[in-house]
Amino acid sequence: MIVALVRMRLAAFLRTGRALAPLIAALVVLGILYGGGAARAGEAYGVSAVVLFPVLAWQTKLLLDIEPDVQRRLARVSLGPRREAVAGLLAAGVAAGGTALLALGVPWVIGGIAGPGIASGLAWGVWAHLLAACAGVALGAVASRATTRSALYGVAVLSVGVVGGLVFGLKSSIAPWLAPPLLATARALTAAPGPDLGDTLALSGQALAWSAVVLAAYGWLRRTRS
Amino acid sequence: MKQNRGLVSTPCIKSGGCGTLFGVRLVNVSYRYGRRGPWVLREVDVTVAPGEVAVVLGRNGAGKSTLLQIAAGVLRPSGGAVRDRPQPVGWVPERFPADQPFTVRDYLEAMARVGGGGEPAPWIERLGLTPYAGTKLGELSKGTAQKVGLAQALLRSPRLLVLDEPWEGLDAAARELVPDIVGEVTAAGGAVLVSDHRGETARLPGATTWTVAGNTVTAGAPETDEDEVVLEIRVAAAQADDALAALRAAGHDVVRVRRSATSQSGGRS
Repeated sequence: MIVALVRMRLAAFLRTGRALAPLIAALVVLGILYGGGAARAGEAYGVSAVVLFPVLAWQTKLLLDIEPDVQRRLARVSLGPRREAVAGLLAAGVAAGGTALLALGVPWVIGGIAGPGIASGLAWGVWAHLLAACAGVALGAVASRATTRSALYGVAVLSVGVVGGLVFGLKSSIAPWLAPPLLATARALTAAPGPDLGDTLALSGQALAWSAVVLAAYGWLRRTRS
Repeated sequence: MKQNRGLVSTPCIKSGGCGTLFGVRLVNVSYRYGRRGPWVLREVDVTVAPGEVAVVLGRNGAGKSTLLQIAAGVLRPSGGAVRDRPQPVGWVPERFPADQPFTVRDYLEAMARVGGGGEPAPWIERLGLTPYAGTKLGELSKGTAQKVGLAQALLRSPRLLVLDEPWEGLDAAARELVPDIVGEVTAAGGAVLVSDHRGETARLPGATTWTVAGNTVTAGAPETDEDEVVLEIRVAAAQADDALAALRAAGHDVVRVRRSATSQSGGRS
C-alpha cells in the first residue's frame, strides 16, 4: 500500500511536469561544472554532489508540495499518518536517486571525466551522491508545505538550509557539525590519496546523523500539523 | 464556559457496551489549530456506536469539520484521545481536491491500491461517473468531483464513514443515493458521522443529532432563533476585547460591536 502511494505521488510529479524544473536545473549546474574541461572522477563527483544538494532539496519540496493538502489527508486516512509520511519520503528518495544517477552519467556523455582511477572514482561518486541525496531529501521534506504551511516559510526554510549547509560546511567553519558534510566530502575526494576508512565512516556518520535529525524534525512537525 | 454535557449518543446496538466493538469514541478530546490558537473543541466526549448515524449540526466555523476530521483520523487531537476507531475509515471531505493530474478511473484505481483493496468499477457506475471515467479530475464540475470524493471513501467498505457536507453540489439523483449508502454501511455494522448545514438531515431517519457550538458538542438540534434573546451590554472601551473574547469563549454569538457613536464595526461571529 505504501508502494501504491509512492507510485501515485511519483506519477503526479511526472504528469504535472513539475519534475522538469529540477531536472533542467540539474542539467544546467552539471553543464557549468563539467563545461570547463575534464577532471578525475572522484574529484568531479565530489563537487557534483555539493552542487546537486540544493537541487535535490528543491526537487523534494516540489514533489511533496504537488499533492493538495486534502488529498494528503485522504492518504493519511487510508494508510495512517506514519506510513503516509514515509511514502512521501520514499517517493522523494526515488526521485533523488534518479537525479543522482543522471549526475553520475552526464559527465561520461560530455567528456567531463578523465584520468586514472575511474572505477574507484565512480564508487566514491555513488557514495558522495548518496550522502547528498539523504541530506537533500531531508531538507526538502522539512521545507515542504505539510510542515511549513506557507510558500514563504517553505522557501525561507529551503534557502536557509541550503546556504547554512554550505556556509557551515566551509573548511574554516566554526560549527561544521551544523551542516551535512558535503563540502568536507568534496575536499576529501579532491585531496590525494582520497578518504581513508576512518574519514569515510566519519563523513557517512555525520551525513546520516544530520539527515536523521532533520527528518526527526519533519516527523515531529507532521505529527503536530496536518 | 459552557459545560460539556458528556454526550454519549444511543443506542448501542451490540452487546458489550459502546466502544467495545466497532464504535468510535472521542474521549475528552480538545483541539486547536497551532499551539497558541483558540480552542475549537474542549473536552468533547462522544461515541458513535456500530450501526448508528450521527448528524453533526452547527454554524459555519463552529467546529463541525474539525470534529469529523478528528473522528476520521485526519487530525490528531490536541488533548484527549480517539478510541476504538474501526478500520477501514472512509472520509468524504467537504471539497474534493480535484487539482490532480489523474482521470477519474486512474484516481480511483490508485486510491484502491493505496487502501489495499476495493473495486472502483461498481462505484463509478452507481454514482453515474461512467461518462466521466476518462475525464481528468480538474475538468469535472464541482458536483461530479464530489461524487469522486464519495466513491474513494466507499472503495473499501468502510466500518466508519465520515461525510463532511456530502450533499454539497450533488445532483438530485446522487443526493438520493447518500441515504441508501449510509443505510448500507450501518446495516453492515458500520458507524456513520455526517455534517449538514443544508437541512438534508430528514433524509436520514433515525439518525442521532449533535450540535457543535461554544467549543463543545451537545445532543439534539441547535437552538432556533425563537429560543434566543439579544442582550445589549455596555463595557469600558479598554475592556471591550477581553469581554468579547470571554463571551465568545462561553459559546455566545456576538452579533454586533458598537465602539463609539460615530464608528461601528463587527458582525456575526
